[in-house]
Amino acid sequence: MSDHFSGPRALSDPAADISDVFAFPAPENPQHLVLIMDVFGKAGPSALFSDAVIYRFRVRPVSIALTGQAASYAVGADEVAFDCVFDLPTAQQGAATPVQQGHCLAPNGETIPFRVNDESGGSGNCVRVFAGQRSEPFFLDVRMIEKTVATRQIAFKKVGSDTLFGTNVLSIVLELEWAKLLKGGPMFAVVCETLRSSKPPVRIERVGRPEIKNVSLSWKMFDQINRDLEIRDLYNSEDAFKVSPDYIGAYRARMNANLAFFDTLDGEVDWPLDKQGNHPLTDILLADYLVVDVSKPFRGTSYFEIEQAMLKGRAHVTAGGRWLNEDLMDTLFTLYVNAGNGPRINDGIDGPIAWSSNVFPYLAPPNPPKGSPS
Amino acid sequence: MMPTAQRETRPRRNVPERPVTDGTIALANLEAQIDGLQWDREPGSRSNDESIALVDLLILRGLILGRIVDYGRAEEIAEQLVRAESNNGAAFLARARVRAVFHRFTDALNDLAVAEQLSLGAGGVNGERAAILQALGRYDEAHVIREEAAERRPDFEAIAALAGLCADRGQIEAARRLHAEARWRYCGVSPFPLALLEFQLGHMWMHCGQWDEACNSFGAALRLVPAYAPALGHLAEVEAGIGNVEMAIARLYPLTRASDDPDYAAQLARILCEAGRTSESSHWRKFAAARYDELVAIHPEAFADHAAEFWLGVGADPNKALPLAKTNLGLRKTPRAYELFSQAISANEAVGATRSATSLQARAKLRRRHKITIN
Repeated sequence: MSDHFSGPRALSDPAADISDVFAFPAPENPQHLVLIMDVFGKAGPSALFSDAVIYRFRVRPVSIALTGQAASYAVGADEVAFDCVFDLPTAQQGAATPVQQGHCLAPNGETIPFRVNDESGGSGNCVRVFAGQRSEPFFLDVRMIEKTVATRQIAFKKVGSDTLFGTNVLSIVLELEWAKLLKGGPMFAVVCETLRSSKPPVRIERVGRPEIKNVSLSWKMFDQINRDLEIRDLYNSEDAFKVSPDYIGAYRARMNANLAFFDTLDGEVDWPLDKQGNHPLTDILLADYLVVDVSKPFRGTSYFEIEQAMLKGRAHVTAGGRWLNEDLMDTLFTLYVNAGNGPRINDGIDGPIAWSSNVFPYLAPPNPPKGSPS
Repeated sequence: MMPTAQRETRPRRNVPERPVTDGTIALANLEAQIDGLQWDREPGSRSNDESIALVDLLILRGLILGRIVDYGRAEEIAEQLVRAESNNGAAFLARARVRAVFHRFTDALNDLAVAEQLSLGAGGVNGERAAILQALGRYDEAHVIREEAAERRPDFEAIAALAGLCADRGQIEAARRLHAEARWRYCGVSPFPLALLEFQLGHMWMHCGQWDEACNSFGAALRLVPAYAPALGHLAEVEAGIGNVEMAIARLYPLTRASDDPDYAAQLARILCEAGRTSESSHWRKFAAARYDELVAIHPEAFADHAAEFWLGVGADPNKALPLAKTNLGLRKTPRAYELFSQAISANEAVGATRSATSLQARAKLRRRHKITIN
């Protein structure tokens, strides 16, 4: 739920509010790429996908353009998209609650039907789709993050309190044969979007990397340029692969200010700003898509490994992307606060209520409501 | 600043097809949001922002489904928030919202003043302040804030709020034009804001006796959110008014079960009574009476007006209505509050109540302040 509550517009319909995106080579089959979009953080049992929203996965080939301080990607133009849409739920014989059907339009023109909450999902030519309620895979201690920012001191406890413990999300899982369905490779940039299904569709939200809009962009008080600007709706409306020049300065200023704040938390400057005041991570984080290299082996901890390798001018060794069970907040805080030069920062939460598995549909089944027998 | 009557609006044209989430899905998801935020397994694991969101969601569900119990729960959470976060302006803003729902307008305005001082500034609280001023009948003050907001950022929320103010003031043409503009500007997928907008217009049509227009607006609200209780209730009222009594009764029966607001039972009792079904009417009259008594005891400000209307109508106890109408007028000086008080005085006189000095003074004051013709 690294992107939940990420801007007023996203909040207007929880089923359009993307909470997380994951991209990784299938642990048991490297020929398959797995893409996951979670929406509706803290979903109660009655949560449904919207019939007025397109849930879109966008994938483009990408390559490393520059390494070192100016590390950057070159994103190809050959985009493929997978659009998932959902029907109104209908009462069905034998089902306790109404059943919702979904359809995934693959880039090869095929439409794959599936039934929401059916673990076996729907299958098409080279792609498999699941959608339904699952256990929230993300874990973090929001209160201690807020306290860290408020007190300007790392506030994590040895044993933290998982804000998302026992909660559920609505997930859409795609497992695809990347060599047959995607163009280029083996490195791909992935971004997920929700769009209002009008003609033309209108983007509601977009998510690539975790905790960009919340941890990295939401705090306004460090930003001396746009202190009063709620930046996230603007940010959401942008095309991740082609951010317009109009507001890039505002995003950069906010990101520079907030990253500089995190760097102060251990009393050491691990990320010296350049002459223009730019933080070394700003531009690579604003390249806000997950980059996964399917030619590399799956590894449980791989988020930002490609980018760190780029910054250091070495070759990456993992698939990058983002795996479900990674302790993302520890990785992120360690990166932001000490650049890996100091001890790993532990937020006191080391896992979710249920680990995701290595097989489709990967995410653990939903948790029962509080008070129900588990 | 340009007055509302002269505001340039978008060209009048048909609102393009902009799909919104089906109302049944949206309602299921509203339930799911509330359940999800109330689930938390570990004490205190809900963040302040989430608690504030929960207050707003409960108020929304209370509004859509006519569930007073939701308002009560929202009040509890808001009070807890303010106790726990006495330096958090957003907590005071959340409590102000709930207090306004319960017509505790002075308390709500005080909360807004604190919220403004603490962190939110005028910009963060003025929308809520305008809503309260509007409810208090202080239309000119509300108008200044609404106009300024619409000038600064003419988005759906600002234009819809201005449309609602014009509707309350009976500025029909301006309300209609702003309503169309608000629809044009809506870019979300939730059906609730649009349903609330349609309801607002329907309410205006109803009060100016334009039954067909009212039916259309309430119908539009119900197409967006079929379970929208106030729209169902008002549509039933209009239907009964134009002679579709059976249809009105059929709409109201389910509402009396689904909602804990006695308005629907009161409405049903009135319509059944007028249809000559006295025995059934009596049942619902007693049901509503008991519930109004209960609610007036707990939230006197919130239910004074509706309870007074009930006792003046099918409740048939004008003596009980008078102090409630007086309480309501004490809270807010709206045209409707003056009218209700006037009706209460007249009804008491009609049943032979003593024309007390208080009553005479009140009538004289009413004549002066509101130019009401009192027989």
